[in-house]
Amino acid sequence: MADNGIGTSKLDNSTFITQSNLECKNLYDYLKTRPPNTLERLYNHPAICLAVYRELPELARQYVIRILFVEQPVPQAVVASWGSQSFAREHNYVTKVLTELNVWMEGSLPGGLIGWILSPTFKRNLKIALLGGGKQWSMSSALEPDKNARDVSFLDTYSSERWECVLHYMVGSQQQEGISADAVRILLHAKLMKRDEEDGSPVITRQGFQFLLLDRQAQVWHFLLQYLDTVEQRGLDLVECLTFLFQLSFSTLGKDYSTEGMSAGLLIFLQHLREFGLVYQRKRKAGRFYPTRLALNITNSQNKNAPLLEEDSPKGYIIVETNYRVYAYTDSNLQVALIALFTELMYRFPNLVVGIITRDSIRQALRGGITADQIIGYLKQHAHPQMLAADQKQTLPPTVVDQIKLWELERNRLTYHEGVLYSQFLSQADFNVLKEYAQSNGVLIWCNKEKRTLVVNKNAHDEVKKFWKKYSKGS
Amino acid sequence: MGPPKRSGFKSEKASKKRKKEEEDAWIPEEDDTTGEGEEASVPGAAARDAEKSDEKAQEDEFGAKDYRSQMVLKPDNTSRPLWVAPNGHIFLESFSPVYKHAHDFLIAISEPVSRPEHIHEYKLTAYSLYAAVSVGLQTNDIIEYLKRLSKTTVPDGIIEFIKLCTLSYGKVKLVLKHNKYFVESPHPEILQKLLKDPVIQECRLRRNVEEEGDGFITQVQDKKNVPTFGGKPASTEQNNESNTVPDDITNFYEKMDNEEDEDESALQTVSFEVNQEKIEVIQKRCIELEYPLLAEYDFRNDTVNPDINIDLRPSAVLRPYQEKSLRKMFGNGRARSGVIVLPCGAGKSLVGVTACCTVRKRALVLCNSGVSVEQWKQQFKMWSTADDSMICRFTSEAKDKPMGCYILVTTYSMITHTQKRSWEAEQTMKWLQDQEWGIMVLDEVHTIPAKMFRRVLTLVQSHCKLGLTATLLREDDKIADLNFLIGPKLYEANWLELQKKGFIARVQCAEVWCPMTPEFYREYLMCKTSKRLLLYVMNPNKFLATQYLIRYHERRGDKTIVFSDNVFALKHYAIKMNKPYIYGPTSQSERIQILQNFKFNPKVNTIFVSKVADTSFDLPEANVLIQISSHGGSRRQEAQRLGRILRAKKGAIAEEYNAFFYTLVSQDTMEMNYSRKRQRFLVNQGYSYKVITKLAGMEKEPDLFYKNRDEQGQLLQQVLAASDIDCEDERIPGEGGSRGGSSITRRVGQMGSMSGADDAVYYEFKKSANINKHPLFKKFRYN
Repeated sequence: MADNGIGTSKLDNSTFITQSNLECKNLYDYLKTRPPNTLERLYNHPAICLAVYRELPELARQYVIRILFVEQPVPQAVVASWGSQSFAREHNYVTKVLTELNVWMEGSLPGGLIGWILSPTFKRNLKIALLGGGKQWSMSSALEPDKNARDVSFLDTYSSERWECVLHYMVGSQQQEGISADAVRILLHAKLMKRDEEDGSPVITRQGFQFLLLDRQAQVWHFLLQYLDTVEQRGLDLVECLTFLFQLSFSTLGKDYSTEGMSAGLLIFLQHLREFGLVYQRKRKAGRFYPTRLALNITNSQNKNAPLLEEDSPKGYIIVETNYRVYAYTDSNLQVALIALFTELMYRFPNLVVGIITRDSIRQALRGGITADQIIGYLKQHAHPQMLAADQKQTLPPTVVDQIKLWELERNRLTYHEGVLYSQFLSQADFNVLKEYAQSNGVLIWCNKEKRTLVVNKNAHDEVKKFWKKYSKGS
Repeated sequence: MGPPKRSGFKSEKASKKRKKEEEDAWIPEEDDTTGEGEEASVPGAAARDAEKSDEKAQEDEFGAKDYRSQMVLKPDNTSRPLWVAPNGHIFLESFSPVYKHAHDFLIAISEPVSRPEHIHEYKLTAYSLYAAVSVGLQTNDIIEYLKRLSKTTVPDGIIEFIKLCTLSYGKVKLVLKHNKYFVESPHPEILQKLLKDPVIQECRLRRNVEEEGDGFITQVQDKKNVPTFGGKPASTEQNNESNTVPDDITNFYEKMDNEEDEDESALQTVSFEVNQEKIEVIQKRCIELEYPLLAEYDFRNDTVNPDINIDLRPSAVLRPYQEKSLRKMFGNGRARSGVIVLPCGAGKSLVGVTACCTVRKRALVLCNSGVSVEQWKQQFKMWSTADDSMICRFTSEAKDKPMGCYILVTTYSMITHTQKRSWEAEQTMKWLQDQEWGIMVLDEVHTIPAKMFRRVLTLVQSHCKLGLTATLLREDDKIADLNFLIGPKLYEANWLELQKKGFIARVQCAEVWCPMTPEFYREYLMCKTSKRLLLYVMNPNKFLATQYLIRYHERRGDKTIVFSDNVFALKHYAIKMNKPYIYGPTSQSERIQILQNFKFNPKVNTIFVSKVADTSFDLPEANVLIQISSHGGSRRQEAQRLGRILRAKKGAIAEEYNAFFYTLVSQDTMEMNYSRKRQRFLVNQGYSYKVITKLAGMEKEPDLFYKNRDEQGQLLQQVLAASDIDCEDERIPGEGGSRGGSSITRRVGQMGSMSGADDAVYYEFKKSANINKHPLFKKFRYN
């Protein structure tokens, strides 16, 4: 237990542990980073307006609806007065969101008052989305019946197969079909994988591990965002792709759509989506495609709990015991690989994997950047029906959950203070004066009499410096 | 695109794992060298280990042993409950419709490894198979049933292993009938084979020299009814199996059930008589020949030893599992020797008493402390018709007149005592050795080392031996020897199931993390090992937590026992909090007085005890246990201590838990590691430890000692001033034995020798320790 001798006073504010964790953006986070003109172009499509509208916070949706048919700016004070004072914080947040998304903008009223007015493009197209009219905004489906029509279950199998191919590739399991160079490039770009320093072959990164533990919908969304980042390099139009994606998300499962009228760029984009299993095409030139479950509702992050992706929620397969044993009913290499991320596997039977959660195995995972919550979340999400049996209050044994969290906390026992080092005092007296000043103000973090060095809180640095200047001038 | 390389840390993990396995592989070799002396009396097959038979199984990319190539999944695998791994581990789904069948079967043929909520793990060992055969299972039946229960095909290695371990086991029995010893077997060819051995031939006793041929005595065993035990409640067996059970499983199960009955009704056996003096020789020789003799006692046909008039009282009602365990023992109308494993508080004594009442011959009960001698006597009086004149105690303190009594209760150390005894005791011993005891009940059988046990066996002649324990488990894993010294494990109960049915208390186990105060931790990091122990035990935060917990539970009206292995801490805590305490030197009468007060005096709700109370202190009232210091990483101690509060509590059914077990550990010290180790056994029984990092409400509690820095500083000074002996007290092997004459502390010494300390070293150590310590001890004892 000697490794706990960490009560030392080493304060090195340059070596903050910077953990680059996987950032999961939702639609709002993504769109707010786009330049206003892109947003403006996006809002030309009713589908996107509707998607954006649906993702807005509840209060924001209220505001939008209230001023949707108001043709002049509404004074800001009036908008603020719609809610009670006690919700001022929410109001401010919502204001920020709406402004960042360019949904509304400031407009001046006669009399010098400043008011809010919806972006005209957004307003027009949201009206179309809500009330109808205008051009048809979903994809055209004017096609004669497909003689090779596919049913929903086929599409489900197809999409999960394709998607798992990508995941398989990431965990590096051997039994796989391989994926296209394009997909590999996206994985590399997304920092989910990186080139090995020695032989240049891609290896999974810590973000990659975190990615694997996400639920499928979040995976797809994250992956697509990363893909969209690279769209422009390929000479595709971002707005066009985004628009198509949104249209896709409003399409109907099991229905086929025509590729007619799609630009060359979009057709390339379609092929990429096909590779990841978001759409199904029998042949490249079939002239029609089927959206799969993966593509539906990708932008919808709010009702995560609803089992939108049925193939994701079915039979859980993991049993966690109070003695830290993990039994997984699976023969899928992918699932085994995922479990192996945080358990020590012991035996593999044809339909069962036996493993044990140990301090080491969890620490290994934590070092890899996976968080305790992700592990617990994954175990919970895939818990075997037996674990969900009625008489149990908690899905997982509470002790195991606690222990995993404690193992994580164990790693975060150091507290960091930013500080400024004062050293090379000319005399002990000088040192003492400054030390006493710092101490009496409660900003002293550490001091060493022999070496005449001390560290003060960074925020107090200016103050201490001022004091020091005054003092040294005086003496 | 080809497959990407596995990331860096993955492969590192794999290599670490491999290294660990190498270490694992090393251990058995070490064991071999230390245990040479005892190995001789164990058959060769017993040394076989299924664990090794999977070495050829390759590891998959994740470091797991990949058995997929060795077995084929059956199409109807969902309705079968087992996986059998080539290394003898068996996994059982507890939610399977055939769980009950499979469970009974597995208990008979294998050792339970862990039995939590959903999936249980068992392990096939040579001993467990030996036990299976001795209760009447046949090799082919075992294999066949295992095949049917398994979701996959059973690996060939396992079938081989079962055959190896069972074919020669349990085929020959040593039976005592009409006070003559017979070697008996249903298989004449095996007896033929045995008799070809010259040593065995010598042991054979031919009454009639002119006998022709092989001269076996052939007899047909009569229909024998399994004795009934006490007033048992009508068994309410439900048969509500769902249709998902494959037919072959149910059919076979019924067949096996029936077969067992047939076995009992008519069985032709052959036997030859053995010279009584040569019993030891023949037993040893048979083990060498891989036909270990099973000892059975046909107590009904024993006319030489007088029957004793003892019966169970009508009020004694056996619980289902107690009855089941006894049925295994008296399965064929005779008494088998063996070990019954029941959790503490589940009524082991009643099983012992019932066994004695069934045999109805002179009974000898051995236990390991004076207090438990008293408790056994009470148990006999409570459950059976025996009265004071029939039962007598033979201890250094209570010397009833043992001559001619029917039930003798004594301690292991009384029997094996090597020093000079008083004249009276000498006479008693002589009488004891001259007797032929019908049954010998060995309480807490796990605590006695093999050597001592052999002494007992050579001194006392008994027809049948029944070992009782809660934890058939020892840190040195020598427990297996018991199989051949006493007999196979006859029954082992499932803790979690008993808990669910309310036979033992529902215990909330908690590990309370007490951070070390900075001052204590500084000293902890700097000082030498012996002092460290005292520092983490005396950690003021631990003291605070103890006070808080005691008060909290006293307010609830609970009865609390506080355990401390360290005597310095024990006394300090107890005196500071003004509570009574018991440790090694406490006299017998004082102990009984304290325990009585604890039981009946509403003002005494908390007592402090040292490890003397680990086993056999029956304190039915206690429902809270706080452990402040313990013996390293001993799993057994943990289980035994838990046992102190396991006795089922009346009422309070509504509450989720009705007993509490707290272990206080000082954070960031050795204790954390120990505690993890200690918990393994109970965790495998399905218990779960809740980690408490902060006791809610402790800040608000007024008047706690050692709350402010000054007091803590003083405490630290006291701890630092404490002598080395204080740090180590009750940890030095053998320290108590010669001094107080108390049999309890003596047990401590045996722990040392058990854990592999060689005799010579042991005695030298003790001697030198005594010389060095003597004056200090005086000081320690009288101030």
